Amino acid sequence: MTFAHPWLLLGALAALIPLLVHLFDRRRPRPQPFPAIALLIKSQKRTASRLKLKRLILYALRTLFFLAVPFALARPEFVKTANAVTAKGAAATVIVVDTSLAMRWSDGTPLFDVARKEAKAALGDLLTEEPAALVPCTRAPVATGPLSFEKARLIAQVDELEPGYEVVDVNRCLEVAARALDESPLANRRIVLVTALTQSGLRLEAEPPVTTGPRGEKVKPEVVLRDVARGAEALPNRAILDVRAEPAPQAGVRAWQFTFTVRNFSAQAQKDVELSLKVGGQVVTKGFLDLSPDGTAQKALTWKFQQGGPTYVEGALTADQLPDDDVRGVVVTVPKELRALVVNGEPNPLKVKDEAYFTDAALSAPGSPVRAVVRDADAAWREDFSTWDVVMLLNVSPPPPDVGARLAEFVAKGGGLFLSFGSRAEVEATNTALASVLPRKLRVVKTAVEPGAADASTRAARLTQLEAAHPVLFPFTGKAREGLVSTRFYRYALFESVSNGEVTVLGTLDDGAPALLASRLGKGRVLAFASTVDRDWSDFPIRTSFLPFMQRAAAWLTGTLEEREEVKVRVGASVTLELDAERPAVLVKSPSGGERAVAKQADGVSGVAGPLPEPGPYQVLDALGVPNDAAAFAATIDPAASDVTRHSVEAVTTWFGEDVVRLAEGEQTEKKTPLWTWLLLVAAMAFVAEGVLLRK
Amino acid sequence: MLSRLGGLKVRARAVVEGVLSGLHKSPHQGQSVEFAEHKEYAPGDELKHLDWKAFGKFDRYYVKRFEHETNLRCTLVVDASGSMGFGTAGLTKLEVARVLAATLAHLLLKQQDAAGVAIAVKGKVVEVPPRSSASHLQVVFDALEQTPAKGETDLAATADLLAEKLPRRSLVCVFSDFLDDGPDGLKRLLALRARKHDVAIFHLVDPAELSFPYDDPTLFLSMEDERRLEVNPREIKESYLEEFNRFLEATKAACTAADVDYQRVRTDEPLDQVVVRFLSRRVGGGA
Repeated sequence: MTFAHPWLLLGALAALIPLLVHLFDRRRPRPQPFPAIALLIKSQKRTASRLKLKRLILYALRTLFFLAVPFALARPEFVKTANAVTAKGAAATVIVVDTSLAMRWSDGTPLFDVARKEAKAALGDLLTEEPAALVPCTRAPVATGPLSFEKARLIAQVDELEPGYEVVDVNRCLEVAARALDESPLANRRIVLVTALTQSGLRLEAEPPVTTGPRGEKVKPEVVLRDVARGAEALPNRAILDVRAEPAPQAGVRAWQFTFTVRNFSAQAQKDVELSLKVGGQVVTKGFLDLSPDGTAQKALTWKFQQGGPTYVEGALTADQLPDDDVRGVVVTVPKELRALVVNGEPNPLKVKDEAYFTDAALSAPGSPVRAVVRDADAAWREDFSTWDVVMLLNVSPPPPDVGARLAEFVAKGGGLFLSFGSRAEVEATNTALASVLPRKLRVVKTAVEPGAADASTRAARLTQLEAAHPVLFPFTGKAREGLVSTRFYRYALFESVSNGEVTVLGTLDDGAPALLASRLGKGRVLAFASTVDRDWSDFPIRTSFLPFMQRAAAWLTGTLEEREEVKVRVGASVTLELDAERPAVLVKSPSGGERAVAKQADGVSGVAGPLPEPGPYQVLDALGVPNDAAAFAATIDPAASDVTRHSVEAVTTWFGEDVVRLAEGEQTEKKTPLWTWLLLVAAMAFVAEGVLLRK
Repeated sequence: MLSRLGGLKVRARAVVEGVLSGLHKSPHQGQSVEFAEHKEYAPGDELKHLDWKAFGKFDRYYVKRFEHETNLRCTLVVDASGSMGFGTAGLTKLEVARVLAATLAHLLLKQQDAAGVAIAVKGKVVEVPPRSSASHLQVVFDALEQTPAKGETDLAATADLLAEKLPRRSLVCVFSDFLDDGPDGLKRLLALRARKHDVAIFHLVDPAELSFPYDDPTLFLSMEDERRLEVNPREIKESYLEEFNRFLEATKAACTAADVDYQRVRTDEPLDQVVVRFLSRRVGGGA
């Protein structure tokens, strides 16, 4: 029974009034001499028992009146359970417990706590001769064991269950339950479904479960629905479905913009929902957004990082009843500050003629992570290369042999080397001096057209093939590609076909000559550009693509450019990691400290770990247990799991078949019968009866 | 009205006048000698009473015997117990009894009948023997007026006393409510009828006893002893009225069975009509 105005039940204290009147009414009776007192006494004795009964009835009627009125005003409703199925004898039972993200929804008591109680109650309701099994409904459902009579063990297993972060396939779980029931020799079969009836989990367009009886016949099992969210028509929820992270150079060096997609899964609009951006667990900025009913909104928050390196960034909404999907994180690799030594092979007092002018301007542009220092060749050869992140040799004359060796050592230890070739590049001498770092030896210098010729713009060579997947060229897709392929190459160096180690041709001219080569030497990287980076042999410096190209080239050479794509992995899935040759990943550590081993794949360069148990930042540990920050990643919740829209019990009952569904006690389809009218009638009848009895 | 305002004498006279205006003639015819039986003559008998006609028929001497009828002797028995002091209609039951008794005494003495009074109270009987002199009326009035309603009812003792003292057939008029009397009181009074006395019962009833008009919780007090009863009158009204009516019917039935004249008198009804009704019935009954 429920009450609309339970506080009015305090009025039931008025039921004490008749008792108090009886106890404290001390009115003195009026004395009256009377001659026939003997007859009065005789009458009183004769009617004493009847009068006593009458007084009791009067007291009961008055008490009933004073009880019925406040109870009626409290508007009670009698909840009646509708059971469609009656007991047919012992039945083999499988209890399916939903462990989806929706079960973490909490309105004071988490739904999964209710689910545990319901599952244990279902076990408690079983007859001793009824075997049971438990199927935790996860992404990969499987029964915890065969049908058994060990209820205590099953209860312990229920206690050990935990809700997940995924969307589960309840239909699949029911199928697993049905197969478990196939093993029973009992003719009666029963599935107890403990769930929140979310539409994302239970698909009503599929077929309901059917078991196979002892003689091979198809048997529709009895289904006991235990709705853990009974009484709730909907489970309101909002969630961050996605976060997109991208550099925001317009906001400064190491500035990133995070665009969050937020969805409102309720029928009520939500105003001024707070969205916080957290870095290192600290809120660094906030924003607010409005959400229409069942609507989606996006909010971009920008943050300028103080230092580079992989960083876990998290967006968090004000927590609602399902707080787990109100947080979504991403690992971004913020570029570190690079120190670039630009070796000017052909200085010129006229800036536009200077070999390093355009490069210096590109690397020093606002938002560039590169801090460039220009030196002429003689000065540069005296530099300690190990103090630089990248060395850029722009049209330099062949360096002395020791410089070549030092450059090779520099690259082998992780330095980046950029090479461009022009009039100073003597083929043979250069091949000799830089033999250990050149991706390919120079063969000859080719002139497509004389620079300054009338037809130079038409006869110049152009880029035709680009390795767009390479990190350096990754941004040059679509319209941005035009800025690169429109570059005119008047003169350029041709490379030998034999490579020095692993070499990738990133761009090819229309005559098939490589224009850009990339190679790895030791821990370092080398980029070789076949032409000049001033306007002597090409017009590349005046192209829109020049500035981002040079910045990305410098970043790639130092390894600070995110080479791998963002690792997007969902909770419940396995993550594939690219294994570092020197520090191969061994373990993956979850936010709560749980570890998953990384299984090396057959290709030898990747490993798989999972399934990942929870959302949040994951560390990747090497064999020594040291985290490899560059490999860190974030696991996120499947947006489908955040949709906790419910089926109605009636719809689910119809789907299973009303002839087989039994609702657990207290299910929300219970019929509510208002009792207040009857109570008012009782009060009125008590009032009238009291009056009639009083006058008798 | 006069019966309510004046003293007993005035009241009685007022009632008598009402009675006389309602009657056409006196029911009594004065002295007379009536034949009763024959007796065989024996020496010493009055010769004047010899029946010569019988001698002629039977040739034996018979003497006529006559029943000697004198003036009526009436004893008015008034119950003066405590319960007779109850009255809600102007007069108490005792006052009504006094008026009725005085009225009958007045009427009797007016036609030379003898009237006496016996007032019954617990433990004693105040008796005024019947006389037929006119001056006796004042004695009767005084006796009636001087006795208050007090004590327990004891009609049995009065009946015993009358049985001893009444010398020959007399009219005995009893005025009582018969409440709280012992079981023998009425029975012994009715037993006077077996002794050839003419007994008339005036059963006095107050309207409040008939209707029981009480509502609020009341402490009912006995008017003769220490009994008391605290009760809600509405709860027992129905039962009480049943009991009371049963009591009235039982009293009437006992009187009828004993061939005793019974008259129920409400204290709020005109007393002259009560007397007229009584006298009319007696005339009709050959008294």
